[in-house]
Amino acid sequence: MISGIKQICGKELARVFKDGKMIFSVFFLPVVIMIVVMSLVSNMSKKAEQDVEEHVSVIFVEHAPADFEGFLKQAEVSCEIRPVEDKEILKEQIRNGEADLWIEFPENFTESVKNYQKGDEIVQVKTYYNPSEEYSRAAFNMISSGALEMYRQALLAERVEDMQQLTVFTVNSDNPDMIIQDDQKAGGKMLGTMLPYFVTILLFAGAMGIGTDMVAGEKERGTMASLLVSPIKRSSIVLGKVSALMIISGVSSVVYVAAMVIFMPQMLGGASGEDLGVSLALSPQQIGMLAVLLVAIAFLYSAIIVLVSVFAKTVKEASSYVMPMYMLVLVLGIMTMFTTNTPKSWFYMIPIYNTSITLQGILTQEVTFAQYGMTLGVTLALGAVLVGVIAKAFESEKTMAI
Amino acid sequence: MIEIRNLTKIYKLNKKQMKESKTTNPIKTAVDDLSLRAVPGEIYGLLGPNGAGKTTTLRCISTIIRPTRGEIYVAGHEVQKEPEQVRERIGFLTGDIKLDPQFSVDYMFDFFGRLHHVPQEKLQARKEELFEYFEIRDFAHKKIKELSTGMGQKAAIAVCLVHDPDIVIFDEPTNGLDVVTARGVTDYLKKLRNEGKLVIISTHIMSEAEKICDRIGVIIDGQKVAEGRLGEILQETGTEDLEDAFFELYRGRKGEAL
Repeated sequence: MISGIKQICGKELARVFKDGKMIFSVFFLPVVIMIVVMSLVSNMSKKAEQDVEEHVSVIFVEHAPADFEGFLKQAEVSCEIRPVEDKEILKEQIRNGEADLWIEFPENFTESVKNYQKGDEIVQVKTYYNPSEEYSRAAFNMISSGALEMYRQALLAERVEDMQQLTVFTVNSDNPDMIIQDDQKAGGKMLGTMLPYFVTILLFAGAMGIGTDMVAGEKERGTMASLLVSPIKRSSIVLGKVSALMIISGVSSVVYVAAMVIFMPQMLGGASGEDLGVSLALSPQQIGMLAVLLVAIAFLYSAIIVLVSVFAKTVKEASSYVMPMYMLVLVLGIMTMFTTNTPKSWFYMIPIYNTSITLQGILTQEVTFAQYGMTLGVTLALGAVLVGVIAKAFESEKTMAI
Repeated sequence: MIEIRNLTKIYKLNKKQMKESKTTNPIKTAVDDLSLRAVPGEIYGLLGPNGAGKTTTLRCISTIIRPTRGEIYVAGHEVQKEPEQVRERIGFLTGDIKLDPQFSVDYMFDFFGRLHHVPQEKLQARKEELFEYFEIRDFAHKKIKELSTGMGQKAAIAVCLVHDPDIVIFDEPTNGLDVVTARGVTDYLKKLRNEGKLVIISTHIMSEAEKICDRIGVIIDGQKVAEGRLGEILQETGTEDLEDAFFELYRGRKGEAL
C-alpha cells in the first residue's frame, strides 16, 4: 500500500520537477509576474504622488488681503497666485483642472477683521475646488485646511493678547510615549491580515493547474487505464496523487511567500518591512502551529482539486469546475482580511474559512488551542472524507470513462 | 488459467450514447451469458465483428470494469473479490491504453516494474531482454510523445510485460501496426505460448486468428456461437476457411434473430 503510494507520488513529482519548463511555469513565472506587477503598480502610484507634491498649485484669490501672499510665501506654500477676472471662466477652469483652487475673501476683509466689535457678523472665507482632480484636492488640503488655518491663528494673535488663555488645553503636544502596544502582536496584525489571504490563495492556485492535469489530463490522454491495470489499490493511486499535489502546492506556496517577503520592499516601492511595522519574529511554537496547519490546508485543497478533476473528462472541463472553488477560497480569504470582530467559536467549524481565521489568530497570538485543534480536525476530516469519495469514484467505470 | 462463468455485462446508455447507436433502449447488453476456459500454453482468440463484446470481455478479465453478472477466475482469483491479485498476474494491453507521453520509455518501464514489485536485478534483466527483442534500445531514452505509432506500441508492449506475467491479455494486438512490427508481436505471442504462458487476444482479422490462435471462440452479439481449434470449427460449419466459417455462423445467428 505504502510503496504504491510512493511510486505514484514519485512519478507525479518527477513529471513536474524533471521538466524545466514545468518548474519555470509553476514556480517562477507566477512569482516573476507578481513581483513585476506589484512593483510597477507601487512605482507608478509613488510617481503620481510625487508629481502631485511637486506640482505648483494654481490659486485664484479674490479680494486678497495685502499680507496674504506674503504669508503664504513665509509659510513655504508653493503656489502661484492669480487674481480672479471672470468667475464663470474660473469655474470652468476648475472643472477641467486648469485651476486648482479659488479662494474668495469678502470685500474689506482686513477692515472687517480689524474693526471687529462684539456682536458683529463673523466674516467668511470661501474656497472652491474639484475633488476629482488630484492637484485641486492637494491644493485644497494644503491651503484650505492648512495655510488658511495658520493665517487665522496669525490674525487671532493680533487681536488677542494672551493666546494661552484661548488654548485651554492641548492634546499630546509633548507625549512621545502615546502608543502602547505589543510590537510583536502589532507586527502579527499587519502580517496576519495579509498572509492568510495570500497563503491560502497561493496554495490553491499552485495546485490548480497541476491537479487538473494529474487526473483529468491522465484520463484525457488515456494513460489512466495503464495505472488501473497495475496491481495497486485504487486508494493508493488517489493518495499518491493527492500527496504529490500537496507537495507541489506546498513548495510553490513556500516559494511565493519567500519571494513576497524578500521582494516586499521593491513591491511597496522602497519601503522596508520595518517601516511598515512588520516584524517577522515568530516564536518556534507559532512556526510549528503554522506548519502543521499549512500541511492540513494543502491536503484539503489538493483533495478538493483532485475530486473535481475526477468527475471531468478533460482538463478543460476540470479547470472550469475548479474555478468556482477557487472563487470560494478567494472570497473566504478576503473576508478574514476585513473582519475586525473576534471570531465566534462556531466559526472554527466552517471548513476553509476556519483555516484563514486560525492562520490570522496564530500570527496575532489570539487563537486558543481548542480553536486550533478544531480547525485542524475539521480540515483533516473533510480532506479524508473527500479522499474516500475520490477513491470510490476511481472504482466507478462511469467516472473513469473506460 | 482463465475461467469465465456466465459473464453478462450490461451498460446503461445515456441519451447521447443512445442517439449515437440509434436506439431508444437505454440498456445495452454487451456480453450475454458468456462462458469460456483458456488454459496455460495456448493462445486463445476471441473472434468477432466490431461491437460483439470482445473488448468488454477482456476488460472484465482485467478488472478494469466489473461484470454485471457471473464470475471470472484468473489463476484461481475471482476478479471482483481479489482484483489486485488478478492484476498482479496479468499483462493487459489495448490500443486505448497509452503510456504517459511526458516520460521516456526507460522511466515508464522502471515505474511499472516497481509498481509490480519486480526486484531491481530482475527488472534490469527483463529490460535487456524486452528492449532487445522489440528493438527499443535506440529510442529508450526518448519521451513517449516523440515516438512514432509503431515505436510507441512496441514500448507499450514491453512495459506491459515488465513483470513477466503468466497471463497475457491483448486487445487487438496488431491494430495500427505495420506488417513488420505486427509480425514481431505475433511471433512474441507464440514465444510466450511456447514458454507455457496463457495468451488471450481479441481480433476481427481472420488470417491473424487462423495463424496464431490455438483455439478460437467466435462471439456475435455478446454470445459465444462457436469454440474450438480451427479444424473443429471448420468441420462444424462445413467450410473451407475461417472467413467462410465465420459468415456461416453469422448468418445462422442473425437468421435466428430474425
